[in-house]
Amino acid sequence: MTATTVVIESVGIQPRRRLAVIVSIVIVALLVVAVVASPFLQDAALHQDILSASLSPGAEGHPLGTDQLGRDVLLLTIAGTASAIVGPVVIAVGSMLLGILFGTLSGYRGGLLDGTVGRVTDILLALPVLLAAIVIGGVFGGGYWSVAALLVVLFCPTDIRIIRSAVIEQAPRPYVEAAQMLSLSRRRIMFGHILPNVRSLVITNMLLNVGFAMVTLSSLSYLGVGVRPGSADWGRQISDGREIMFTNPAAVLAPALLLIIATCAITVLGDWVGDRLAGDDEA
Amino acid sequence: MSALEVEGITVTHGSRTLVEPLDLGIEAGRCLAIIGESGSGKSMTARAVAGLLPRGVHATGTVRLGPHVVSLPASERVWSRMRGDRIALLLQDPFTSLSPVHTCGSQLSAALLAADKRRGRSRRRAAQRRADVAARLEEVHLDPRVAAQYPHQLSGGMRQRVAIAAALAADPDVLIADEPTTALDATVQADVLDLLTALRSERGLGLLLISHDLGIVQGRAQDVIVMQHGTVVERGDTSRVLHHPEHPYTRRLLAASPTLAAADRADQPAGETLLRAEGIEKSFDGRRVLRDVRVDLHARETLALVGASGSGKSTLARVIAGLEVPDAGAMTFDGASLPAGRAGRIPSQIQVVFQDPNSTLNPAFTVGRTVAEALRTAGRPASEVPGLLAMVELDPELAGRRPASLSGGQRQRVAIARALAPQPRLLICDESVSALDVSVQDQILQLLGRLKEQLHLSILFISHDLAVVAQIADRVAVMHDGVIVETGPTAIVIDTPQSPYTAELVASARAQSLTTEESA
Repeated sequence: MTATTVVIESVGIQPRRRLAVIVSIVIVALLVVAVVASPFLQDAALHQDILSASLSPGAEGHPLGTDQLGRDVLLLTIAGTASAIVGPVVIAVGSMLLGILFGTLSGYRGGLLDGTVGRVTDILLALPVLLAAIVIGGVFGGGYWSVAALLVVLFCPTDIRIIRSAVIEQAPRPYVEAAQMLSLSRRRIMFGHILPNVRSLVITNMLLNVGFAMVTLSSLSYLGVGVRPGSADWGRQISDGREIMFTNPAAVLAPALLLIIATCAITVLGDWVGDRLAGDDEA
Repeated sequence: MSALEVEGITVTHGSRTLVEPLDLGIEAGRCLAIIGESGSGKSMTARAVAGLLPRGVHATGTVRLGPHVVSLPASERVWSRMRGDRIALLLQDPFTSLSPVHTCGSQLSAALLAADKRRGRSRRRAAQRRADVAARLEEVHLDPRVAAQYPHQLSGGMRQRVAIAAALAADPDVLIADEPTTALDATVQADVLDLLTALRSERGLGLLLISHDLGIVQGRAQDVIVMQHGTVVERGDTSRVLHHPEHPYTRRLLAASPTLAAADRADQPAGETLLRAEGIEKSFDGRRVLRDVRVDLHARETLALVGASGSGKSTLARVIAGLEVPDAGAMTFDGASLPAGRAGRIPSQIQVVFQDPNSTLNPAFTVGRTVAEALRTAGRPASEVPGLLAMVELDPELAGRRPASLSGGQRQRVAIARALAPQPRLLICDESVSALDVSVQDQILQLLGRLKEQLHLSILFISHDLAVVAQIADRVAVMHDGVIVETGPTAIVIDTPQSPYTAELVASARAQSLTTEESA
């Protein structure tokens, strides 16, 4: 019999946060537009105008100038959005799918399976993501998608652990035992009953991982892993642009700033969506 | 002079009023009880008087503590001078109100030192402090050795005694006890209440006792206030309120309070044995929770399993339900062997109604989906959902709702509907009503009684509360330390308990239930 009436209601989000969320939504919407547009921009962006190599910003026809190969920085940056966003989204979704599968199985069934999954994630977590990606990607000479696949594997241990502990917390609850009393299959209990109750965690974590994967993937292409030289990619642009930093700083700053802004916007959005869903779950 | 006088106290949360303007007064050495169900505003009143409202909740009014007047809302600085020295709050849950990483002695001595500091006295010396701590522990009938122990090494009752000693460290004039025994086992509840009563008269303490249970005020409080939906519906002298209640709500509350009077069920024919469990053994981490337990449950009977927490009653229920696999023992159901664990069982044998209405239903599912799924396991169509909801006396319209928008009683009814969907022979109710308000508890018990007749169910009813058991059970099995110490028809066990433990249980239940036959 709870004596203390709980009177904590959802405190409306503060105006400052509301602004941050709205700005983030706008940014993410623009990014999505850029992603959709970028395949059509590739040709124009990669077009080299040898005569006008490394122009500073403000040059006629090139608001952000051109890079060392004489390509328009603005177009190149927009065209690079696809490579900056699509890969990380795929990585985050893929690693979350693995996280849901192994995290739920391992958390609900326990025993040998849990032990095995636990040890494998321990080993994967012990690997420094960037270093492992450089070594493996370097040795096998993987392209963009094989590096993304590698990152899925390297990212999933955290997801597995988070889902596993959430499932372990849910498993002894009476609603789960009531499902057991109805002799429902284990699969039905795990994915039909428990999973919907950890969805806020799943979505938040996935969105936060998108930001994390963007930084990782760009770092790798900065280091020359994954992306073919000369293709439109923010990490690649930052790396190449260093040489002409003083002729055209925009060649480095444009993709770098966009990377920071995009990561922040997705992270803010991830937090917000997570809080919303968590509120729904408890309300 | 009054130890505590409260004038026109109002508690609001945003635009919602939780407590309508309320006056109350307690003289030194007397006890005032505030009785109400959840949401009645009784706890908020108590917290407002102690200046400990949750964030976002505000109070206005005047609190007079002896010579001091606090006009609300008051700053934390004003309150910090009042709390401890003038007024202290004892909380419901002794499991969380003490710090788990400090010994009981160091928590008590911290409270003593804080009182010294507030009064500008010099620090007590270590030896003096130890002696004081020992004296304080003795005052609450605890061994001074408890000082060296951590809260987790103590039982719930002992912890609550430590919490009482800590609340009284600065010798306040007024003690507010907010449901001080609700989290405790039945056998120790009466002891803690008696201790509070003794301290009240020894120290001339003004005691404000907050409870959901009208049963405990008898003989302990001189005055009673009954609250409902934030307003006082009745107040007055305890025996007058108990014996000549004026407000219909008070009358309803009194009628709903379970008494120890067991209904006469002598003419009930004993059915054939439905479930038999023999030689059940279960240990957790080397601790034997069930020791060679044997239970027989007849068809169409309600057998209650009574015992304190840790007695093994829930574990036994879970073994029977198949949610726990026993270390040893055999079970038969309807003449056939019943496998241990859930594998090999079918839903139409046994179903369970769990305790906590907050987590018994899947929060992500609507009521309709929960019930339809249970129906499907028995091959019944989802079109039977409205009928099943009507059977547990719920509006079929609720099928579209999620558990979050239902009351505790409604959730428990849905849980019963889900359990009945596969048409089980045996229904296990594991403390199914103990988290509910008294009036709701009464309704659910009556519903269970009707359903049992209507569907020819057998019920295994697990409870710590003998008064509830008396109301519903045909037979009682009393569990203590993993052993069934006594079994028999409810009325006989309550009237002539054979084992000492049962006698203790009955005595403590009697001390807390209303004596209905008395008319003042």
